[in-house]
Amino acid sequence: MSQLRRALAISFKDIESYYGKPPLITWGLMFPAVLILSLYVKDPATYLAIAPGIIAMTLLFGNTSMAAIVITFEKRAGTFQRLLLAPLAMRTIILGKAASASVYGLATALALWLGLKLILGMPLVSPLLFLAGLTLGAGCFSLLGLVAAVMVREVFEAMTLMNFFRFPILFISGVFMPLAQLPSWLKPVALVSPLTYVVELLHLGVTGRSEFATPIVPLLAIFLFLIASWLMAELLFRRRAYA
Amino acid sequence: MMESTLAIAVSGLSKNYGDLEALSEVSFSVRRGEIFAYLGPNGAGKTTTIRILSGLLKRDAGEVSICGEDVASDPVFVKARIGVVPDESNLYPELTCHRNLEYMGELYGLPRARRGFRAGELLSFFDLTERAKTPFGALSKGLKRRLTIAAALVHDPEVVFLDEPTSGLDVPSARALRQLIGTINHQGATVFLTTHNLQEAEALSQRVLILIKGRVAALGTPGEIRQRVQHLKLLSITFSAEIEAAPLLRACPAVLRASLQNGTWRLEVAEAQAALEQLVAFAGGEGVRIAEINTITASLEDAFMSFLKESGEKAEALP
Repeated sequence: MSQLRRALAISFKDIESYYGKPPLITWGLMFPAVLILSLYVKDPATYLAIAPGIIAMTLLFGNTSMAAIVITFEKRAGTFQRLLLAPLAMRTIILGKAASASVYGLATALALWLGLKLILGMPLVSPLLFLAGLTLGAGCFSLLGLVAAVMVREVFEAMTLMNFFRFPILFISGVFMPLAQLPSWLKPVALVSPLTYVVELLHLGVTGRSEFATPIVPLLAIFLFLIASWLMAELLFRRRAYA
Repeated sequence: MMESTLAIAVSGLSKNYGDLEALSEVSFSVRRGEIFAYLGPNGAGKTTTIRILSGLLKRDAGEVSICGEDVASDPVFVKARIGVVPDESNLYPELTCHRNLEYMGELYGLPRARRGFRAGELLSFFDLTERAKTPFGALSKGLKRRLTIAAALVHDPEVVFLDEPTSGLDVPSARALRQLIGTINHQGATVFLTTHNLQEAEALSQRVLILIKGRVAALGTPGEIRQRVQHLKLLSITFSAEIEAAPLLRACPAVLRASLQNGTWRLEVAEAQAALEQLVAFAGGEGVRIAEINTITASLEDAFMSFLKESGEKAEALP
């Protein structure tokens, strides 16, 4: 319990120091909002086919980047050492850092949806699935950002490392093209991308439609990705956080 | 857990960075309530030792016990009982002084009511109350150092590690900080101090360890260590005008080593009578008077320089 309270303290401090800053909030909102509005202007009838994917893409880029930037910035400034010197279990540090990045992703995605609802009347047929997709996706992507950050020293190295997987999965995860339209040889690859399941859960939440027969599949898959990301983060933090 | 009289017990501690031997078979212990100075030239292994003792670095061999527990086997227990002031002041630049201390209190598990009180108490103790709302990043180097020490004391640690606490500070700030270190110790904390400043170590600490090339060169009270170099013949001499070391050493072969402190030369000599004659001749040749000359007893610095010389380490390694 005491360690959980300390993880919360880390999260609150990070939100206060980094995530609550107006430039970050506007970046997280403006970029996807402009993209979705452009699609709406082009064709109001079809923008919903892509909008959930764009929200998921924003979550992927926003959370991985922010989690990685905060850690590499603190490592450079020497302030990350304060956490390593404090009586904190490694999982407390991971939880604190990942939770703050997740809250940022979740808050900006919800604010984005609310704005689109007010301006375009964007629907939300299953709020629970939408929220589950955002929450599990934000957690998974934040942890992947931490994994990248702990493996390198500089912010640009973290970005380069993450771009090796972020850009490729963008094209195979159903963001711009439904899974059904992917070449058959690419479909199995799409199934090992966590973004695929976040996109599908957001589609289910917004339109009620999905490539999967049941929401259990994407829910379970992204949950397993979350667990795997946590284990990977814990392993790498134990090995490399002190480097 | 049995209450140990030792705050720190280190036995056979070794650490290598690739082929570089940073620490080799280092053993020492620090009693509770003691100020223990850990001295050595740059690269001797001082910071490596602190990083191992505070759980930031894994050791290759040896045993380390802090407050009766091994930091490797129970890091959370040990870290809750120690406060570390790294060589760089590394608090959060965007947070105010008060918020930095409060946040440290949160990380160390202090209850909410205690956190605010303790932050105010420490700001007052370190004469920073007026800066409570100033961001850490906007403070001067000396004030940053003070707040960093305050942050290490938030949880009333049993052992405080101070890595070069006065490094880079001006004379008044360094003096004020030394007084604070004494006060922290009087309030019950064991202090493990690394410093380049030998006068500081001699004035503050009860015992001293001199580390050279990762090995213990000497361990004892400052008096015991000075005693080990009582064979040294030392003179202090003040000339009526400024002179250079190089011509002095050239003209006086009996002078083995010369260092200038506050206008007075400290000379290590091979034979006092010969050195005296050579110095008088040198002064005459340079057209200066000898204002004062005395034989002196060895200081901790003399001992330190002697150990360095024995180890083959160059004196230039000292700042």
